[in-house]
Amino acid sequence: MRELAGRLTALDPDAGAAVKAIAYFDRLVAERAGPEALVRGAAVLAGCPARLVDPERRVRIRCTADGVRRDDDTPPALTWPSEALSPHGRATLWLERAAEGAADCTSGSGTPSVVDSVILERAAGALRTVLDRTRGRAPGGDPGRADDPALVETVLDATAAQASRLHAARTLGLARTPKARAAAVEGGRAVLLPALSDARPGLEVFPPGPVGVGPAVPVLELPASWESARTALRFADDSGGPGAGPRVVYAEDLGSVALLAGIAAPGTEPHPDVTVLRQALADAPWMTATLKAVASAPSMRAAAVSITVHHSTLQERLAHAETLLGWELRSPAGRLRLQLALLLLHLSQPVG
Amino acid sequence: MQVTPPPFDPELAAALETFREYIAPGLTADDITRLRETPISGAFGESDPTSDGYFDVDERSVPGPAGAPDVSLLICHPAGDSAANLSRPLIYHTHGGGMVLGDNRAGLDAVLEWARALDAVVVSVEYRLAPEHPYPAGVEDVYAGMLWTAEHAGELGADPDRIVIAGGSAGGGLTAALALMLRDRKGPRPIGQVLMCPMLDDRNDSPSAHQMTGLGVWDRTANETGWTALLGERRGGADVPAFAAPARAEDLSNLPPAFIDVGSAETFRDETLDYAARIWRAGGVAELHVWPGAFHGYDGMAPHAALSQETRAARLRWLHRLLGA
Repeated sequence: MRELAGRLTALDPDAGAAVKAIAYFDRLVAERAGPEALVRGAAVLAGCPARLVDPERRVRIRCTADGVRRDDDTPPALTWPSEALSPHGRATLWLERAAEGAADCTSGSGTPSVVDSVILERAAGALRTVLDRTRGRAPGGDPGRADDPALVETVLDATAAQASRLHAARTLGLARTPKARAAAVEGGRAVLLPALSDARPGLEVFPPGPVGVGPAVPVLELPASWESARTALRFADDSGGPGAGPRVVYAEDLGSVALLAGIAAPGTEPHPDVTVLRQALADAPWMTATLKAVASAPSMRAAAVSITVHHSTLQERLAHAETLLGWELRSPAGRLRLQLALLLLHLSQPVG
Repeated sequence: MQVTPPPFDPELAAALETFREYIAPGLTADDITRLRETPISGAFGESDPTSDGYFDVDERSVPGPAGAPDVSLLICHPAGDSAANLSRPLIYHTHGGGMVLGDNRAGLDAVLEWARALDAVVVSVEYRLAPEHPYPAGVEDVYAGMLWTAEHAGELGADPDRIVIAGGSAGGGLTAALALMLRDRKGPRPIGQVLMCPMLDDRNDSPSAHQMTGLGVWDRTANETGWTALLGERRGGADVPAFAAPARAEDLSNLPPAFIDVGSAETFRDETLDYAARIWRAGGVAELHVWPGAFHGYDGMAPHAALSQETRAARLRWLHRLLGA
């Protein structure tokens, strides 16, 4: 009973051995065996060396037919039977089966035997599961998102070694695009987005809730993109309703407005304008929607339409608000003052 | 009684899955004849004793115990040079098989691997099996073969002072018994003993024996079958001698240094641990390895598994240290 393979093929060169191979890999997966055990299983069952190469996750494992780990950097031969771990990825499992002199196992170059095919298929499937579990989600498996928390943390840590950050970025699948963006989402969590250019991704890539998005940068500059994203998150407003600010805020859209984030923070002494604004908002149920509409709409008429009131009603409301606030709202300077007060009020509130 | 068994090592569990239809955990007296005839039992020992011509192989009949037939020894020594005037280490091997199965080629591959690494001679003894030949036939055969081997070591190109006695499973138990007999009868003194997953205790009542019932390889039922074949009604009783079941020995002092290993998920775990501990308490030398999640005979049945590779490496490292090779 020297080798699993010899015995299995001796028992039944085709169907029996295939069934045994399936049972073997199923059990390895059920027992949560590691990738080396799977590659070794392929080698031992096939009776020839097997190797796994996953360039994106930097995993290389090679075992000989007797199950001994012996890594090897030589390039794989084109004639070896192989199986990709995923349709779009580059990770591949090879059986180092010589095309010649293996007539009992191959029916000609490039056409693996039934048993080899079963071994490759089962082992590759099992490896996909195990690598996803132990080395983070397969790049390309879920395009546009990369959110393994530990890897994301490494990429965003400016104090981490460059090599570690690059490795983590590659593992997250960020290395295949020239740039990436960091986004800050609800709860302060980070999401990294591969970016082909400065073009913006669709809203569907973001989770619900407020989102701040940093600029598209080379991966090593992602810590800075992340800082900008966190600032942008503070301006994001998912309250909905008339005059509400955008749910997704891009740092590059803020410009100098971003400076306000440094002035107002939850817990700091509010500016007197903010204090009177807060009191005014509590004065009437219509006040918040009305002031936000006036601050954000291009004209008084558009503001009235957006909150579905008559123009004259709006004028009456603004007269009342002006007495509460102490400044006039129907001039450009007054509206800027209102906009600033609204922003400062928003920034002084803790983000969800 | 707490009977939750330790889980098998993942790779070994998967290998066990593929043997399931050939190797059941249990073994009854009725199975013995059938197993002796099936090719799968032969496959355990199916080996090439020449190791592709590396060894010259000789089968020799040597005198058996008083009044008993001759004993057959399989002798493998490195080919190519005349055996004379060399003083290689010699490994005296006793095969396993639950006292009821196997021949002197069973489990030999692992021993021949050591011999290649150590430039050693191997002698593997054929002993009479139970139930046809109950105690003390088998162990006396092993003893007689050892006496001849020690006396003729020079002829075999080996150094009589560097004989390691070794065996797995029942062969491990017989090897432990051989060490006791050589001590008590003032026979030749081996330089070391290798007890691989040894079968030591006929009482078959340890926590591991209960815990692994119906699981893995060689469970409590199989063990009872083996010991009953050897000892009949005496099994588990008050008067079982130490040469039959070494766990019964009162005195484990003055034994050759021991290498002892066992799986954590097998019947023999606790009797093996106890044996090692008693050697230390008696002031002796032993190295003990307990391989997690290993079932009985894992290294032979799944030699590719990481744990099996580690096991082989640990044994060889110990032999290197012992022999200063």
